[in-house]
Amino acid sequence: MPQYQSQIDLSSVRRPVATANGLPNAHYTDPDVFKSESLAVLHASWAGLAVAADVPENGDAKPLEFLGIPLLLLRDKDGDVRVFQNICRHRGMILVDSPRKIEGAIRCPYHSWCYSTKGALVSTPHVGGPGYNTHEAIVKDDLGLIEVRSHIWRDVVFINLDSTAEAFEVVNAELIARWHEHTAPLYHGGADSRFALDVTCNWKLAVENYAESYHLPWIHPGLNSYSRLEDHYHIEQPIASSGVRTASGTGTAVGTGAFSGQGTLVYRQLTGDGGATFPDFAGLSDKWDEGAEYVCLYPNVLLAAQREHAYAILLEPIDTNHTIEHVHIYYASPDTDAALRVRNTAQWKDVFEEDIGVVEGMQKGRAAIGFDGGRFSPAMDSPTHCFHDWVAAKMGAQAGA
Amino acid sequence: MTDLDAQLLAAHASGDKPALVTLYAASADQAGSVDAACFYLTHAYIFALELGHVDTAHLYARLAEHDRV
Repeated sequence: MPQYQSQIDLSSVRRPVATANGLPNAHYTDPDVFKSESLAVLHASWAGLAVAADVPENGDAKPLEFLGIPLLLLRDKDGDVRVFQNICRHRGMILVDSPRKIEGAIRCPYHSWCYSTKGALVSTPHVGGPGYNTHEAIVKDDLGLIEVRSHIWRDVVFINLDSTAEAFEVVNAELIARWHEHTAPLYHGGADSRFALDVTCNWKLAVENYAESYHLPWIHPGLNSYSRLEDHYHIEQPIASSGVRTASGTGTAVGTGAFSGQGTLVYRQLTGDGGATFPDFAGLSDKWDEGAEYVCLYPNVLLAAQREHAYAILLEPIDTNHTIEHVHIYYASPDTDAALRVRNTAQWKDVFEEDIGVVEGMQKGRAAIGFDGGRFSPAMDSPTHCFHDWVAAKMGAQAGA
Repeated sequence: MTDLDAQLLAAHASGDKPALVTLYAASADQAGSVDAACFYLTHAYIFALELGHVDTAHLYARLAEHDRV
């Protein structure tokens, strides 16, 4: 048996796109399904948590919550970015309650147990009585901070909460290979190149909308002037053709990484006064002169690969109908034109805000009684179905059942 | 309340951790017993550890001298 087995029949989701239904309403509205789906889909995968640029200097610490779990993003004294559970091993007290720099050690605000930036428990004051700072029952080496598996790619800090996923590079080998030319360093544009959108919808709806180009001429009419629908192509890496592992004892194939999205053949750079543009990333072939790709790396990271800037959108699932979209924009150089950056941020913000109405509208629609999850255009919606199929598989639904 | 006590309370109230290192170390120097001294030294050491204070190693050594770390 797969690790998770949904109580809801998802077999119709796993049909070929021409006959499949979308995920049923409960996956968008039911708090119990939200919890079980979080375990099966978000805990068991490499989920996007934050960006390394959130902690730019050694010792920088940023407390975060992901699915209600208190986490601490930390750049240790040697510059490595780590993720810990943000609790003291003594009484479970929250260690860091606001972003700050750790100059020496992390001191618990309750009884002052102290941890290094690498998570080691280094001091337990008065643990053996007043003025006695050791006790044979308290073995420091056994009581370091609980570290969460993490991996950084394209500056995104991915975490695997349940520690069951294969290594990130194995799970996501196909996308890493697809974008093998995009290995030049990414430089976060800074404060003017990040923003967040608070959206009243389930996180999956943001993925579904980002995956397909079908909506572009209707929701983003401004693109019609230079980027027509026919200039786009689908990108699909379904679960069946991803690297597979075998669930213990059953021989059931369980897919690992998968992604889908869209590409364009007519990418146009932003130009400033006098025709200025951002510098290109090094190492790109001619294909990327007018090509760009926009991919949902499942479960919750939306990426863009373009010749002179990139972005990552991390979807923070808050509740069944509440998601925060964290947008970060990157460049090929740490020194880019500030005015042009601001224009670029504003341009993308306009585009992403145009999508809010539809994702929130689809969320409201999920309250409709008897809605079967909807149907997909076989020609235009296969990247969206690819995602639904992946979620259903993660929930334990079998293809062809 | 001694002047040192008052200074300690003020440093706690204002969150002046460098001062807490100095004041707890001074309290240890004035303590009447090894246990009392180690109590204060522990506090000085912990705040020093948190700050990455230059006196951290020295305070650790003073506690280690009494087998308290």
